[in-house]
Amino acid sequence: MPSALYAAIVAFIVLNAVIGMVTYVTLLERKFAARMQSRIGPYRVGPHGLLQPIADALKLMMKEDVVPTLADRSVYNLAPIVFLVPCMLIFATIPFAPGLGVADLNIGILFFLAVSAMEIVGLFMAGWGSNNKYALLSAMRAVNQIISYDLPFIFAALVPVVLAGSLRLSDIAGAQAGFWPWLLPHWFIFYPVIGQLAFIAYIVTTLAAENRVPFDILEAESELVAGFRVEYSGMKFALIQLGEYAHAIGTSFLGALLFLGAWSGPGPAWLGPFWFLLKAMLVFLIITWIRWSFVRIRVDQILAISWKLMLPASLLLLMGSAAWVAWRSAGGA
Amino acid sequence: MTDPEARHVLEMGYGGSERLTMNMGPQHPSAHGVFRAILTLEGETVAAVDAVIGYLHRCHEKLGESLTYTQYPSIASKTDYVAAMTSELAYVRAAEIVGKFEVPKRAQYLRVLVAELQRIASHCLWLGTWCLDMGGALGGGATVFLYCIRERETVLDLFEALVGARLLYGFHQVGGTRYDLPSGWTDTCRRTIDQIDARISEYEDMLEGNAFFLARAQGVGVISRELAQEVGISGPLIRGSGVAYDVRRAEPYSSYEDFDFKVPVETAGDCYARYRVRMQEFRESIKIVRQVLDGLPEGPISSRPGVKSVGQVRVAKGEGYARVEGARGEVGCYLVADGGAKPYRMKWRGASFSNLAVLPHIIPGHKVADVVAIMGSVDPVFGEVDR
Amino acid sequence: MAPEAKARGFVGELVDLVGAVARAMRVTLINLFRKPVTVHYPDVTRPYPDRFRGVLALTYDKETGEENCIGCRLCEYICPPQVIKVEMLKAEKRNYAKTFTLELYACEFCELCVQVCPTDAIIMMKSFDVATADRRELLFDKDRLHAVGLQFEPSWATGNLLRDMQSPPKAAKTEGAHGKAAGGSE
Repeated sequence: MPSALYAAIVAFIVLNAVIGMVTYVTLLERKFAARMQSRIGPYRVGPHGLLQPIADALKLMMKEDVVPTLADRSVYNLAPIVFLVPCMLIFATIPFAPGLGVADLNIGILFFLAVSAMEIVGLFMAGWGSNNKYALLSAMRAVNQIISYDLPFIFAALVPVVLAGSLRLSDIAGAQAGFWPWLLPHWFIFYPVIGQLAFIAYIVTTLAAENRVPFDILEAESELVAGFRVEYSGMKFALIQLGEYAHAIGTSFLGALLFLGAWSGPGPAWLGPFWFLLKAMLVFLIITWIRWSFVRIRVDQILAISWKLMLPASLLLLMGSAAWVAWRSAGGA
Repeated sequence: MTDPEARHVLEMGYGGSERLTMNMGPQHPSAHGVFRAILTLEGETVAAVDAVIGYLHRCHEKLGESLTYTQYPSIASKTDYVAAMTSELAYVRAAEIVGKFEVPKRAQYLRVLVAELQRIASHCLWLGTWCLDMGGALGGGATVFLYCIRERETVLDLFEALVGARLLYGFHQVGGTRYDLPSGWTDTCRRTIDQIDARISEYEDMLEGNAFFLARAQGVGVISRELAQEVGISGPLIRGSGVAYDVRRAEPYSSYEDFDFKVPVETAGDCYARYRVRMQEFRESIKIVRQVLDGLPEGPISSRPGVKSVGQVRVAKGEGYARVEGARGEVGCYLVADGGAKPYRMKWRGASFSNLAVLPHIIPGHKVADVVAIMGSVDPVFGEVDR
Repeated sequence: MAPEAKARGFVGELVDLVGAVARAMRVTLINLFRKPVTVHYPDVTRPYPDRFRGVLALTYDKETGEENCIGCRLCEYICPPQVIKVEMLKAEKRNYAKTFTLELYACEFCELCVQVCPTDAIIMMKSFDVATADRRELLFDKDRLHAVGLQFEPSWATGNLLRDMQSPPKAAKTEGAHGKAAGGSE
């Protein structure tokens, strides 16, 4: 089979798998959040709510597509697509098993981080094109926030890169194979101090980069009523939701790959992708757990945390891990 | 206020050079009721706030003139519908003061019991909705909201067993109360408040010391002591600003002098201080409920026979003012009687109405996100504001 | 970040922050494993207390099977939103209600009509389940009220029981003089 056709088929499968996973991850989040709040989540649609995401998708497809009269039409209509495409594209470089992935670039993580930051363009287009004060306020807050948190995000994600010595994602995953003494897996999260701090920094910056509570001031339902999405309905809204959750899962997968050893787990090698999925869902559940435990903070406080706390901290972490790698390769243990 | 220019979208100068007029409400996920605030923004900072009320006006004071003393207590609960017991108490006490009616001791203790339980329930709702405003309907705020509602439901179950209704009771009548405790109720009540006592410690765990929460609540919406006394606020707002004014201590009514409880006062005057005051009020109310249950005397629950006809209660000519410490502040009822079965005039002093007057003084200078935090800590109920 | 932080330095603040975050997340985690409080209505109904104020109904006498209502219109006069309309029918031994309409969609469920009824004719049921898509179905006439009275379980409160609970017993009339502070009754 010509490799281009093979790549196209794999890409098609991955894309559909991602979309399917995104819809069901919304159900997972709703049930998990509900249990934390002493209630049951979706229950009636299908057994234990298993058909709820499909019902939601059908509803969104059937809704009327309302476009505000004074909206900037081309910008307004293009925004969901410009928002969605980078969020889908990040799955291209993630290897789900050794050799199983769409494109295992040798600059894999650089591609991931660069492309995932492009969603901000779509977000701002949505806020601007809606011709709505609330949407505009929210889009401006979003630009501020995502730009501020991109740097700490990159630095936190670079710590495993430095520890593994390669930008290729499968190399980073491969560097976490094997065990240390005492049966501790060789995952980067278990590296003393640096691993745990880097993981925490990664989680915090991921929350901010995805506009999740406690950093979701741009959605602030009590003030801005859905923020930049407020004028969207129907399928365009579904695309934006898809993009948001796809980005969330994408960064969860990346976190599982960078810190939790990707596909390494007990059992035969073909179980690898399932372990990967499990770990990615674990990271996603940690993010959800944080989301449902905290109130949000104001945008100036978010920016203060980013510039005064996260950036110096992640920079120090990166330099510390680089120094440790240099010491190790110069002959240390 | 009906400035035609207020409808335009101005050019956004994010450096703060242009002023933007933004409307919050009356339908709004956080309005705490129907409330319209026209904010003038400079960038993200609020420069002025123009409050518009009156969306929930239902002519209570006119109803008070058309309904008799036996009919109106059920309606009185609908002013402050979140803390209905204290609203009814204000009206019924006003009629008793003007008509010089006695209230038996057991009825007084029952009134204290339900008033304090109602305060617990109302503060549960306050905490839930305040965190909901600050944290979002999809986020930690919703979690605290659902926990608080879960606790409030247990208190409402108690009221349902006592009265038959969960939210709007009709429990008080002129001369005493309408219902007595059913059997087994005191045990359920003790169990419920023990559970609430434990759960409040959980909420404090979740919120105290939480840097996100403190960042939203400390230093925000500071009401200075002088401002508090000038504007005429009451309740947890004034006690959060250092003035120890509680109607239950200043002018004890309904046997409150028999009970041992502290009146919590904080001096900082910001949202966090008001939060601390209300959390301590939870504990003090629980203490009072326990004392009432321990010391409840036997006896009649009303000094007047049960209502058999609509014009049964006649109040002699006179006027008087009754005030009670509601969950939101001083709720007062001024009654002018002319000897008939209906009042000649009845006026409500709504606690939230006077409390809202402080908003134009404290909101300017804060960011938009702080407006909801401040509104939540002021805890208005618009049934009381608009009557 | 925390404006009034004690002067414990950067590390101290960080430790406080981590501790607070961990405490909050611990509370959520504990609640994850608690039983949900959801009641799966309408498959499961929660038990209603005896005094539940549900829909209104007219009753028949238990022994004779006659209607209890004598058409005295006391409930009509006391109802605050004036939803009850009664016409009396005079007969030789006793009176009846010729028509009795109750607009349930405007009823406040305050139980004052139950309170004043001298013959325990009108009572409330332990159910509220009369939801309908047509508001006209909530305009109860006399037949409907009697039917509702046989359909659901009645709650505890009747006029005489309520008045007995409220009326001071004859012997204790003198105890009302308690707590008479200057000028006030409480």
